[in-house]
Amino acid sequence: MSLVNLSHVCSHLQNASLARLGLTSIPYTRLHLSLCLLLQKQGFFSSVKLAGPTPPLSSFPPNAELALPQISKHRQPPIARRRTKPEDQTRETALVRMLTEGATPEALKEEGWVDEDVTWASLHAARSSHSLEEEGIPISAMGLEIPSQPLSLPPSDPSDLESTVTQSNRASRRLWLGLKYWEGLPVLRKASMMSKPTKRIWLNSREIGEVVRGRRAGEVKGMTQVGEVVAVSTDRGVMEARECAERKVGGMVLCRFKPESRSRAGESCKTVPRRLSSEQA
Amino acid sequence: MSVSPAYTCLSCRLKTLVVSAPRTSRRQLHASASYAARKPSFPNVSASKMGLLPQDTGPSINDSRIKPYSENEKALLAKKYTPDQLEAIYAGETAISDEDLRTQGRARTDPMRISYFDDFSKIRPIIDHPAEIPTGGAKEEDVGKFLKSTEPVKAPAPTREAPSRQQVAESTDPRILRLSQQTGMTPQQISKLRVKNLVNHRVVNQTRMGKIQSLYFLTIAGNEDGMLGIGEGKAAEDEDGRRQAMMNAIRNMKPVPRYEERTIYGEVEAKVGASVVQLSARAPGFGNRCQHLIYELARAAGIQDLAARTPRSRNKMNVVKAAFEALMAQRLPEDVARARGRKMVDVRKVYYGGQVY
Repeated sequence: MSLVNLSHVCSHLQNASLARLGLTSIPYTRLHLSLCLLLQKQGFFSSVKLAGPTPPLSSFPPNAELALPQISKHRQPPIARRRTKPEDQTRETALVRMLTEGATPEALKEEGWVDEDVTWASLHAARSSHSLEEEGIPISAMGLEIPSQPLSLPPSDPSDLESTVTQSNRASRRLWLGLKYWEGLPVLRKASMMSKPTKRIWLNSREIGEVVRGRRAGEVKGMTQVGEVVAVSTDRGVMEARECAERKVGGMVLCRFKPESRSRAGESCKTVPRRLSSEQA
Repeated sequence: MSVSPAYTCLSCRLKTLVVSAPRTSRRQLHASASYAARKPSFPNVSASKMGLLPQDTGPSINDSRIKPYSENEKALLAKKYTPDQLEAIYAGETAISDEDLRTQGRARTDPMRISYFDDFSKIRPIIDHPAEIPTGGAKEEDVGKFLKSTEPVKAPAPTREAPSRQQVAESTDPRILRLSQQTGMTPQQISKLRVKNLVNHRVVNQTRMGKIQSLYFLTIAGNEDGMLGIGEGKAAEDEDGRRQAMMNAIRNMKPVPRYEERTIYGEVEAKVGASVVQLSARAPGFGNRCQHLIYELARAAGIQDLAARTPRSRNKMNVVKAAFEALMAQRLPEDVARARGRKMVDVRKVYYGGQVY
């Protein structure tokens, strides 16, 4: 678990909201994924999508014509290699086969698919095509569930094949994050590390309780600002500090996210730094 | 002994040498590429291109809206206004140049602005004076009266109330009268405000005529119930500067968000110059335990529980300005919750039957 990469993610998120980016990406690791899912649950991100080096179409609002040419410029040809080996019997592949080839659950079970996967696939295959398109399917990645991911049907849209993780494209996967804005101002303004790569800080459940109540615990400052969120890495995954206090779980405090940074004179004029205003953050 | 065919001076020879030599770029002192050469490895999409930010035309009037009335619009206007009024409207609109409208015609951005568009020509009973809906055993007449009452009524023309004799007697000062017209407060209300001068010092302007000194004042004004303003004044005369500062303070009064009408929301920080002011909310009964300048601000705003730190410069003027900035920069929990799309409940209003203060 590299905190160096997490620090980069924190500063990148802060810079991205200063530059008023709507969609940005971070490297795909288990720690980043679980943190992003936490932040999405807390309402800091509008979407978390797993895709390749170009943003997936599903992360754009339906009327974002302005943004699309920009993407197609970057879009690379789809990866030609597909997984055809028998050991790739995942539940997503089962679902795709049910939808495209009309394979029955019994036939799949005979082929040697796991019962659990087949049941999951038949559950989602029964949904309407509209709901599958709009809401997507939950996919499991690195032992975590990512909700509402685009369902990739290889023959119809080969470009969306990117969202399937294969051995050949594993290293090029990225997490695409939709940032949120409210009344012209970013929802996430400040992201800072609490543990450092060279100095990790562990707190037990009692100390986390103190921090949540706004009091200092050792060198960790309390959560005193309105809407502050602290991410804690525990043995039950990455959790919010309030949830840790509720469940009496301790862990390593990772980082702090705030909806407000220090106000300066004339802050209200809402200026964007000129150099960052392009897509070069 | 041979003679060289053509003599060229040393500098000329050097020049040719320099020109013929391949151009090499300057040695890179840093391992990372220069800013211009750097490009993001992965595309980013700006929020404005995704339509997440409000359109940047902002409150200024759009060019497309400045155009002459069509015949249809003129006919509609003629239904509403008399010919004399129409003439006045056309004359008034031609008198203002398009350029002025484009650059200066802006919607209000002050905290007291109205969040909807209305010309206030009608009183709408349901909105302006909520009428009670007749229930159960109401007679037909009542229902009829109620329905009639919900129709918009023409609002009476605004009249400037002549100040009573007593008011005139008390405020012979035309400046106070003007202030009361600007703020909408009566001279009595103005006199009840808590006004206090916090900073005064002499300032000097060096000109070729010599040093010209004047006096600077920084004054705060508040109604001890959630309104607070600060004002600056500068004049050669003591009395003049004081009055300027006081009037500016009263004119600049803005609402301060207060939690339970006694403290602030969470912790806020603001910076003016080298002064940083950190304000934090405290429990009931804590009191205003802060330095005298911030104490005066809190008292004028009607805040009773407050802690403050000024970790850096304690320049009086900047501390007052930063503390005011911090009080205004509070984020309301409702706004944060709405921005994040989450539901919020204040449990202090749930426990102990809401009897917490």
